[in-house]
Amino acid sequence: MFHDLSIFTSRTERLAIPALSRRQLLGTTATVALAAGVMTTAFGRKALAAAGFSDDQKLALLRMARDIYPHEKLLDNAPYQAVIDGVLAEAGKDEKVAKLVTDGLADLEKRANGVYKSNYVGVKDPLQREGILRQIELTDFFQKIRGGLLFGLYNNKSLYPKFGYDGSSWEKGGYVNDPSFGKVDWLNL
Amino acid sequence: MAAAKFDLNDDSVVVIVGSGAGGGTMAHELSQKGVKCVVLEAGKTLSLDDIENDEWAMFMKISWLDKRYSGGTWHGSVNHPNLPAWIVKGLGGSTVHWAAVSLRYQPHEFKMLTTTGGIPGANIADWPVTYDEMKPYYDKAELKMGVTGDVTGMPHLPWSSDFKVLAEGARRIGYNKITAGPMAINSKERDGRPACQQIGFCMQGCKIGAKWSTLYSELPKAVDSGNCEIRTNCMVLKIEHDKSGKVTGVVYADKDGKQQSQKAKVVCVAGNSIESPRLLLNSASSMYPDGLANSSGQVGRNYMTHMTGGVYAVMPGKVHQNRGTQVAGIVRDEAHHDAKRGFGGGYTLEKLTLGLGFLSAFMVPGPTGWGHKVSGALEKYDQTSGVWICGEDMPQEQNGIELHKTEKDQYGLPVPIVKKTDHPNDTNMRNHAYKQMASIYDSLGSKEIWNLPAYPASHNMGSNRMSEKAKDGVVNSYGQSHDIKNLFVSDGSQFVTSASCNPTLTIVALAIRQAEYLADQLKKGAI
Repeated sequence: MFHDLSIFTSRTERLAIPALSRRQLLGTTATVALAAGVMTTAFGRKALAAAGFSDDQKLALLRMARDIYPHEKLLDNAPYQAVIDGVLAEAGKDEKVAKLVTDGLADLEKRANGVYKSNYVGVKDPLQREGILRQIELTDFFQKIRGGLLFGLYNNKSLYPKFGYDGSSWEKGGYVNDPSFGKVDWLNL
Repeated sequence: MAAAKFDLNDDSVVVIVGSGAGGGTMAHELSQKGVKCVVLEAGKTLSLDDIENDEWAMFMKISWLDKRYSGGTWHGSVNHPNLPAWIVKGLGGSTVHWAAVSLRYQPHEFKMLTTTGGIPGANIADWPVTYDEMKPYYDKAELKMGVTGDVTGMPHLPWSSDFKVLAEGARRIGYNKITAGPMAINSKERDGRPACQQIGFCMQGCKIGAKWSTLYSELPKAVDSGNCEIRTNCMVLKIEHDKSGKVTGVVYADKDGKQQSQKAKVVCVAGNSIESPRLLLNSASSMYPDGLANSSGQVGRNYMTHMTGGVYAVMPGKVHQNRGTQVAGIVRDEAHHDAKRGFGGGYTLEKLTLGLGFLSAFMVPGPTGWGHKVSGALEKYDQTSGVWICGEDMPQEQNGIELHKTEKDQYGLPVPIVKKTDHPNDTNMRNHAYKQMASIYDSLGSKEIWNLPAYPASHNMGSNRMSEKAKDGVVNSYGQSHDIKNLFVSDGSQFVTSASCNPTLTIVALAIRQAEYLADQLKKGAI
């Protein structure tokens, strides 16, 4: 359906996001808060160790994920981290994926340094970071992360309520008898 | 009555390729008239138990995902390179997925050449059948499907919040053709199916069967008649013919991938507008080197999808677009023809719910659909309202179904390339619709309006079009091949022009008419 349908067909097994036992800090642009989101799950720790990614690389991936679909106030790091953990787990098992991520991150850092004399995470303005990502948006690396996020954030039933989306309704008999059905208070209807 | 079982060598049967709106209706109509038929469905058996209120889960479960290429210059050739069409591979075909809008063609929409006087660059033609001839079949189709409105006497469905929002905006800019129907969704219990519960997710398959689908309406009735056998997971590869040129049966791959040959007295092709011409082209022989039924050269050409697009806007208050049927109502003030607007034909505005999953994917489709604007809009999901635009699409010879020269699919058949390029008429009409929708949403106080390009097409039409004369098209007004009398096309690929309405009701009406004609011809021994 999108740039590469295989993104979705190959990803369905990972749609189940690992349940997180504790609420994490809200993600902000501060590195400190980002760092709190890294390596929090056993799944994540194992994956990261296997793939041999540095803390800086992991932070850059999380920052990048948050910049692709920013929800600074709405979502904490957990759903983003779950997607990143999934990609790193894959990288731990597949050298091609590891290379895709390693090279992609190196390219990202080079671009950040070239324009802003800073690593990616250190670029303070979110719009400037988005601008850097626009330069790489057609790469397989970027699309791998984006494809995962599209599912991990917006097809994630545990997050539906945050967006005001109700999800499945047949179990509760639909909306035919729901008091909200057909009401539009701001139009007095 | 027990389900029928026919021998592969039984050459008295009508073989129907496909079980959707066209094929499923043919199976039902023919079997009621005592005509024996075998339905070969490429997809798997589905039931209500398979239906979930989950957009992506159902997309993966029911979509036709065999290899295809998008061609032409529409944005999908970049953004949806392997998904030119969004249709179903499964029992019931795309009647599992359809949203149930059941508008009739307007009388002038059967005569677009006469109406417009012709449009340069478009292969526009009048249908060889008129509205007056179609009217009794539209009536029958509405009774069969349970379409809300005068013919069935079933009231339209109640207005959801989201439709009230669209209706209010439409009213504010002076529109008044605003209705919650006609829909082939039960507003009362009817024909063994329950009344709609406003569940939503109509296009993921109706969980309770309130929406009409051949899956649980026509096909079981056909089987119960004792005259119809349905074989699922059976992909027809080729139609065979004898020395006289008449078709004699089909070769298909069964559920185990094994090739089988089913003899037939008549073959009805109803595989949707990509697979139907593809099958005719793939059946080329020394006698028919350009494919079956193709003396006109029109097989696979004039492919139409509707001029389409979407508009979604963030409202000042809650809308809860997901609470109710997916297409809860329509606005038809622009459905007429008026050349002064800068285009021929008209369009319908149809309120369309997208869930969070699909809205996130389609606000800006393709690889560039991300960033703070997209994510910011998604945070206001429950304030978002939107429509789908359904307009007359220009038939053009350059738009069509071609066979890939080297690449083969899992059945060993050449992969189809589906080419679609907008005609300037399409572009002008789309821009007009975007402008009108902007006025509607602006009148409601929206400060954020998103114009969406076409989705992968669910309305696929025209690639085996009807014509009065054999040199202009593939089939006559009954869907019968001009070249081969016992070969019929029974789906939307017969369409000459696309009109400003969803195609399913017209596919069903044409199939009822075709079945009547075919049964009569068989009785007379004319075939």
